[in-house]
Amino acid sequence: MASTAVETDDELLIRMQSGDEEAFLALYRRRQAGLFRFALHMSGSMPVAEDVTQEVFLALLREDCGFDPERGTLSGYLFGIARKLVLRHLERGRSDVALDTDSDDFVQPELAVVDDPLLDLTRREGIDALRRAVQALPRRYREVVVLCDLEEVDYADAAVALNCPIGTVRSRLHRARGLLLERLHQERNPRQALGTLKPVRCVS
Amino acid sequence: MNCQEFWKTIPELGDFEGRLHLMECLPCAARMNRHRELEAGFRAVAAGCRRMEAPPRVEARLRAAFRRQTGSESIAKSRRWIPVATWAAAFAAVFALAAFLVRPRQPEAARPPVQRTIELAMLQPQADYDGFIPLPNSAGVAADEDDMNLVRVEVPRSAMIALGLDVSADRAQELVQADVLLGSNGIACAVRFVD
Repeated sequence: MASTAVETDDELLIRMQSGDEEAFLALYRRRQAGLFRFALHMSGSMPVAEDVTQEVFLALLREDCGFDPERGTLSGYLFGIARKLVLRHLERGRSDVALDTDSDDFVQPELAVVDDPLLDLTRREGIDALRRAVQALPRRYREVVVLCDLEEVDYADAAVALNCPIGTVRSRLHRARGLLLERLHQERNPRQALGTLKPVRCVS
Repeated sequence: MNCQEFWKTIPELGDFEGRLHLMECLPCAARMNRHRELEAGFRAVAAGCRRMEAPPRVEARLRAAFRRQTGSESIAKSRRWIPVATWAAAFAAVFALAAFLVRPRQPEAARPPVQRTIELAMLQPQADYDGFIPLPNSAGVAADEDDMNLVRVEVPRSAMIALGLDVSADRAQELVQADVLLGSNGIACAVRFVD
């Protein structure tokens, strides 16, 4: 249906709840990629990301899904569900592993700049380093970076998803960026990083 | 603007004062460059992941789930009408009953009172046919003897008084057995007390 292209998430949700399959699929297609990437960045696992994406929309199908437009956008609400599901997976300790890019379903990312091979290599290394640094962040900082910096979710939606005030989103983001810069700096200058370590005891 | 004030204004950096501070403060300029590098890195990572999405099988599963859900929902919706219909039927029944009870009625013709007791005339008891006492308004026992039926019943002893027999007052409520002769028309013709 052509009208779905301009319909808001809330309008699609209303049509979906009245049994319109096309509206449900339009909503899914609009939101699934962001949710999938969020779950993938958070969990580092393709199967978990797939499960989470599916569970988010199954939760939306339930009559008592609990979405309240007064409290925020549907996008923020969906990210909030995804976050809870990811945390459940992480708490089980099954999937807090490195990004699994060996899976058959993994689509190799296209780099933004590909003309200069040297630049491409540098970029690829830089991107990998940043991705590793994000993965290594503590969970509360990782989720805010993934949401706001990678998925470009606005602060209000991020606050809904993280179930915290906007001020907390800002402060966590600030702290997370500081941690990332620190880690990237250490990776680029390992000697300097080693210099910051203090020996506690000499056993020799 | 000092360094602290400058970093408090992040991410609103479009103002003149902010740019001026970056030109004057080398540490802040360096830090700002690192932040910009980081933002560029984020954009590169995001661009690299932009094509990543859930595999098509997720959509297929969700579509199937949606169809199951809407199917069961339509059943549930139809079931929701059951209590409504029940209440409507109950209300209609109550309404009909109320209408029946409050409707104006035609006065009924006076019915003759039901005769609960055998009307017994005060006649002189006449012993007849093995102790049967003929009842008043009956043609007697002998007239049509072949078609008569004999029925044994229990009656209060006070019934004997009506036939002129002597009964003490304190035993008037006792039951006694009696044989009643019924004519072919079903009317009692005579009675005999067994005791």
